[in-house]
Amino acid sequence: MEQISIPVEGMSCAACVARVERTLKNTPGVSGATVNLVTGKAGVEYDPEQVSVEQLVNIIRELGYQVPVEEIHLTVRGMSCAACVARVERAVSALPGVLKVTVSLPAEAARVAFYPGAVTAARIKEEIRGLGYEVEEKITGQEALDRERQARREEIRRQARNMLIAWPLAILVMLGMFRDVWIFPRFVPEFFMNTLFLWALTTPVVLIAGGQFFVHSFNGLRRGATDMNLLYATGIGAAYLIATINTLWPEAGFGGKGATFFESAALLTAFIVLGRYLEALTRGRTSEAIRKLINLQPKTARVIREGREVEIAADEVVPGDVVLVRPGESIPVDGKVIEGHSAVDESMITGESIPVEKKPGDEVIGATINKTGSFKFEATRVGRDTALARIIRLVEDAQATKAPVQKLADFVAGHFIAGVHVLALIVFLFWFFYGYHAFFRPDSHFILSPYSLAEVGVFGFSLLLSVTTLVISCPCALGLATPSAMMAGTGKGAENGILFKGADAVEAAAALQVIVFDKTGTITRGEPSLTDVIPAPGFEREELLKLAAAAEKNSEHPLGDAVVRGAEAAGLTPGEAEDFEAVPGHGIKARSRGRAILLGNRRLMEREGVPFEALLPRVESLEQDGKTAMLAAVDGRAAGVIAVADTLKVNVPQAIARLKKMGLRVILITGDNRRTAEAIARQAGIDRVLAEVLPQDKAEEVRKLQNEGLRVAMVGDGINDAPALASADVGMAIGTGTDVAKETGEVILIKADLRDVVTAIEVARATMRKVRQNLVWAFIYNSLGIPVAAGIFYPFTGLLVSPELAAFFMAMSSVSVTLNTLLLKRFVPSFQRGPGEPREGAGRPVPDPATQQ
Amino acid sequence: MADPARLSALVYTAISLAAAALFLLATYAAGVAYPPVARFGGAVWVFILSMIITMPLVIPYLNKRQKSPLLKKK
Repeated sequence: MEQISIPVEGMSCAACVARVERTLKNTPGVSGATVNLVTGKAGVEYDPEQVSVEQLVNIIRELGYQVPVEEIHLTVRGMSCAACVARVERAVSALPGVLKVTVSLPAEAARVAFYPGAVTAARIKEEIRGLGYEVEEKITGQEALDRERQARREEIRRQARNMLIAWPLAILVMLGMFRDVWIFPRFVPEFFMNTLFLWALTTPVVLIAGGQFFVHSFNGLRRGATDMNLLYATGIGAAYLIATINTLWPEAGFGGKGATFFESAALLTAFIVLGRYLEALTRGRTSEAIRKLINLQPKTARVIREGREVEIAADEVVPGDVVLVRPGESIPVDGKVIEGHSAVDESMITGESIPVEKKPGDEVIGATINKTGSFKFEATRVGRDTALARIIRLVEDAQATKAPVQKLADFVAGHFIAGVHVLALIVFLFWFFYGYHAFFRPDSHFILSPYSLAEVGVFGFSLLLSVTTLVISCPCALGLATPSAMMAGTGKGAENGILFKGADAVEAAAALQVIVFDKTGTITRGEPSLTDVIPAPGFEREELLKLAAAAEKNSEHPLGDAVVRGAEAAGLTPGEAEDFEAVPGHGIKARSRGRAILLGNRRLMEREGVPFEALLPRVESLEQDGKTAMLAAVDGRAAGVIAVADTLKVNVPQAIARLKKMGLRVILITGDNRRTAEAIARQAGIDRVLAEVLPQDKAEEVRKLQNEGLRVAMVGDGINDAPALASADVGMAIGTGTDVAKETGEVILIKADLRDVVTAIEVARATMRKVRQNLVWAFIYNSLGIPVAAGIFYPFTGLLVSPELAAFFMAMSSVSVTLNTLLLKRFVPSFQRGPGEPREGAGRPVPDPATQQ
Repeated sequence: MADPARLSALVYTAISLAAAALFLLATYAAGVAYPPVARFGGAVWVFILSMIITMPLVIPYLNKRQKSPLLKKK
């Protein structure tokens, strides 16, 4: 019988308590249940053979109460391969009350979802610690950076110390073993050949530098778990043990003094330690993006408190504080400008290289740099709520998730160790019972070694091949292949203002075939702008626009606002208007500088008796293009046509053209009428339009495309896009859009620049290319290395791979996978590469069409 | 019910000893005059590898049986 305390939410009275208690007690396998209303906990005594924690939780939920699920983020240090990941996942998920465990090797992170009460965070940590790893709850921010850096430094220092012990001694051992060969007799003293001397040199290498492998494997085996440390421990241990027996008791019959493999034990350890050292050096570099982001956080802030300017730590700023920023300073937290003007460099957050003008009312983002003027702003979001903190969390979470392809690699690597030992046993039995007698040649040598194997007997020979197979089979390259590339890829995305919420988002984005764009706010600016000013004969364009703007100056209508903004952008100053009158459903009437102005639709002109037939073809043509055309009349005469429309965002045609070039199908989806939608699609270069689609039907349209077997991305910004974003294989939310869209999308484009859709797909494709390269390399290495180590070529060549050479290959495979991943840092998105398409324009205010005519 | 850790140890040690014993028998049955060190050294190596192979299989299997199959995660 076991006892468990399950938290229950939603109970309001004694009746609820009795209900939960009664139901639990009636459950087979439950011998007792006590529910406490005040503490909100159900204490259950149950038989785990008959009922599980999950079943108990489901029973409570079925009654209509909630059982909360908690999640902890842990930092787990000391994991070295995918087998360690599998080991931690297996051990933690076996704890009753644990729902889900995700462990990331490169991020050294574990995310555990559990029922509080059924299991505690302390129990989870204890389980991981029991496996021989260091564990602590994950912290964020500068402290996390400091601790991570310190831990990394300690690991590098530890492995450097091991190298300092292993390498000099291993080289001396090698000189001793090969003292008779080549030029060595000239300068290597004879006592180097003494086996006792060699044993004395090898022992500290194996026990001090290689001690870590024995400790880790013992801790794992005690709990029935294996990892690659076990491969090393058996390899090093076997070589050392045989050498020791042959040295101390040469008559024991293990081959005597001629079969001491000291150089194998020493060099094997030295190479594995070298691999560990290089891994410690390079592994941290793949997560540089996060480190760069964390480093952006300013340490101090200058705030106004009690009328005085005081400097405080940035994390002490509270919402509502008035913060003062001088030129050259970093903005400490997010807020809204209340006084002053400046230009702010937001490139570190948005990737936009041109400083953005800030005036009272504008929002500023923490960690961006104030360039020109001083200003004051009111803090709105601080600490964990700032845009930067949220970005850091998103990137961290993404790096802690697993891509489907990685799960396969983890599964293979996790089961590899047992498989490799089976293989080592088969290799041993084959050579012991058959191979040695059938193929042994007295001229046998190790590859790249003059060391003769002539004196080695059947046991030593079979053991050597068995040990070499163990050593060469280590799946560490396989374990590193996917997560290291995913970390580099998501980091690269973050550098370019693209946040992937998970590794699965990267994998899905790389495989996309169709991109569906929402229209309003995504492709277009989402507000009308002045597009055309067509004067009638006898009127000047500027005169017409000036008069129209003057008439609309007092209007609150968005169309009127567009006319006024258009005139201002063209450098005109609209005059004052008198006798303003809005005619509902028709337009407006006003007087300016003594002239009577009418601006509105056909009905207004008809009502006021203004002949406008000559302008009708222009009006119809503009309407055909999806624009809203307004007729203008001055002093009773038709003066021209003014058109406004929702205009394309900057760079949209380039982005669409590039997507098509990449082989993707592009579709526009909108609730707007077909004519307007098609006009916008024409300008953007989109061929297929899904118009007049209700918000709730957008998701259905996405599903229809998926049912055709297509992998679909939805790009949107609004609340109405959320269902479609969720239905799509990849939902891409525009960073300037609604919070709902951003929470739903798997990819967030921080800027409103649609070229980032292209960049996101390019980054995802480059990342998956790296994953595939790494996996292919790791599989090739293991599938070629194992038969060679098992002696497949020996019958024809008489050559064997020595255990130390196997260790060298193994270390190189991990290092080469990591180095290949680091090449991803050189990846530059195509829009930043082409000289014809400079990146500088990204996000700049849209040039008003009125000024371009 | 028996302590699962002790039961596991008993099972994997027994399997490994059986494998080592089989190996020894095979060295006699093979018709080759193996030196004693090769016979016994080989048996020890087979025992070690068998332990390493069976421990991670036997321990979780018996633990799971002890906890009942209902506890398996989805």
